[in-house]
Amino acid sequence: MNLITSWIGNVPDLAVPFALAALGLIVTERSGVLALGAEGLMLVGALAGVGAQLAFHSAGFALIVSMLAGAGVSVLFAVMVVWLRVNQVIAGLALVFFCQGLTSLLGSVNGWNNQPVSGLEAITLGPLAQLPIVGPLCNQNLVVYLTPLIFAAVAWYVDRTVGGLRLRAVGENPQAADAAGVPVLRIRLLAILAGSALVGLAGGYIGVVSAHMWTPDMTAGRGWIAVALVIFARWSPRRTLAGALLFGGIEALIPQLAAAGISLPQYYVLCAPYLITLAVMIQSVVARRGEDDAPCALGEPYIREERR
Amino acid sequence: MTSTVPPSPADACAPAHALDGNACAPPVSFDAVHTPRHRRRPWRRRYALELRQEMPWHRQAAVLALAIMTGLAICTAILVAAGVPARELLDEFIVGTLGDADNLRAVLFQAAPMVMVGLAAALAFRARFWNLGLEGQMVWGAIGATAVALGDIGTPGTRLWLMGAAALGCGAMAAVPPLLLRMRLGISEIISTLMLNYIAANLLLNLVYGQWKDPRDAFPHSRGFVDAERLPELAGGYSSAILLAAVLMLVVWWLLQRSRAGIYLRFVSASARVAEAIGVPVRHVVAGIVLLSGALAGIAGFVVIAGQAGRLTQDFYGGYGFSGILIAFLARNNPVAAGVVALLMATLFVSGRSLQVFYQIPFSMVQLIQAILVIVVAASDFFIRYRLSPVGRAE
Repeated sequence: MNLITSWIGNVPDLAVPFALAALGLIVTERSGVLALGAEGLMLVGALAGVGAQLAFHSAGFALIVSMLAGAGVSVLFAVMVVWLRVNQVIAGLALVFFCQGLTSLLGSVNGWNNQPVSGLEAITLGPLAQLPIVGPLCNQNLVVYLTPLIFAAVAWYVDRTVGGLRLRAVGENPQAADAAGVPVLRIRLLAILAGSALVGLAGGYIGVVSAHMWTPDMTAGRGWIAVALVIFARWSPRRTLAGALLFGGIEALIPQLAAAGISLPQYYVLCAPYLITLAVMIQSVVARRGEDDAPCALGEPYIREERR
Repeated sequence: MTSTVPPSPADACAPAHALDGNACAPPVSFDAVHTPRHRRRPWRRRYALELRQEMPWHRQAAVLALAIMTGLAICTAILVAAGVPARELLDEFIVGTLGDADNLRAVLFQAAPMVMVGLAAALAFRARFWNLGLEGQMVWGAIGATAVALGDIGTPGTRLWLMGAAALGCGAMAAVPPLLLRMRLGISEIISTLMLNYIAANLLLNLVYGQWKDPRDAFPHSRGFVDAERLPELAGGYSSAILLAAVLMLVVWWLLQRSRAGIYLRFVSASARVAEAIGVPVRHVVAGIVLLSGALAGIAGFVVIAGQAGRLTQDFYGGYGFSGILIAFLARNNPVAAGVVALLMATLFVSGRSLQVFYQIPFSMVQLIQAILVIVVAASDFFIRYRLSPVGRAE
């Protein structure tokens, strides 16, 4: 019983980075830009967040710095894919490796490696936190409470507003959107910036709130898992939230199993998130053959003069 | 791909008046479309992007050279900012590595696995398969080779050959799951190969911290290989690894340029659908090439552990995955060019290590430099493929 309660209490903390990163990717990819750079942008967010926290000792400010850093670095990606029409797979990979090199360099040059920082305080929702089983869910930090609201806001914006309609139009059929007067390139730039800010926030959360420190390559593939999560969720924020809870639940389960006295070889257990990512991708294909909700123009650079 | 005809003014103007997406705008007359357009947003409308038919090779080379110079200038600025005296950079990178026999040997030693991963990536990319699992395949190849060595399989005379064969087989097998997922289920190999990298890395840790751990010391690695299990040295102290790399490069060159599979592969790289329609066995070609790519990566793993490391270590594969992709990209998937680029990358690696020793610059600097080179070269492609032509200025 205790184990289940503490497991449930740990799920949100581990699910939030997946959720925010995947949401950011959805915003970018709905505009037709294939965003593979999440792993790198999360590292940038984590490093910037930890650096800001070491300098200013304010977790809220540190997370804002993470968002700005994510968006800032993504300008490089935007210039590559929006204006220079670089192959989006190459550009995404180059961004990841650029960010990995940059962050581990800056981390060691500034001496930020393994420096402990303080995170966010947990906020208790009054008597709700005393409830059995679900009580720990009401004793979380601010970002956990904000995440569903961010999801609702993004889902509302994408599905219910003119701006969201333009975003989707640019991702589905940029030629038609252009003919209708939608500025394709500008919308793609804004989608990359906004999405990358969310990915940066996810990274900052890992660094500042979850791990309380910076270590090189600390995201350990979570950015790639977020990319897979978006495919699994078929570009829908609602299903993404569910998928993020699934991955958060699995990550939270690993220490619980050890605490319960079930001993599994450590390194096999560490493989679990990656194996489950593969399983989830297989499941999403097997369950829905033929149906494909990907934005139609995903991965295609837009060139007005190109004959199609 | 054939649009080099300047777009007619009508084409270029059509969406311009509706740029603000103002659905309620009153219909505009023909004159009104033309005149206010340039006044309102001259910086947006002045150029149209045209696909070039072809650029003469010397201009392509000039663009590429300019891009690489820009990239190197950025890298130099970063290195100088990190505290390397500008005067000593040239010395460190060129004179220090190529002028000195010891360092030249080190570069060639380092280049051998790089050539192999570069060839592996180039082959897979030609088959339009994003094999990002080079590191995982290297790990599997190395595990296979180490299993042969630790199991004392074969006589000392055949041991090294068996290790190589095991690495080849294991590397190819490691490429099977993403291949099947892609061909049977249409799952993108980008994610699956990356996930398999993480899995392979954890299994390697399991072995070097577990049953293969050298009992004689506390470090996570296997026992050292005996002489019969290590790549021999040629005359002059050069490792035989570079010879193996050269042979593999020639084999891949022959495969791509002279064999039937090479012709098929050219069809597949141009367009898999057209290739299918004219009777090329697309699936067989792609499957064969991807398996070969995995096998090459496996041999690269074998070369690293049986050459440089001399034992199975926990992180021998670090940096090779991206280097392979980068080499293939910079070499335009050409095997001979991949050999040349691999030599340059090996120089970068060796210099990076000496920068680490002499100036305390983290090795991640090498990765940053690599990424900057990819970015500038990818960006330079824009100027090779497209032309910016002024529209509507004369009107």
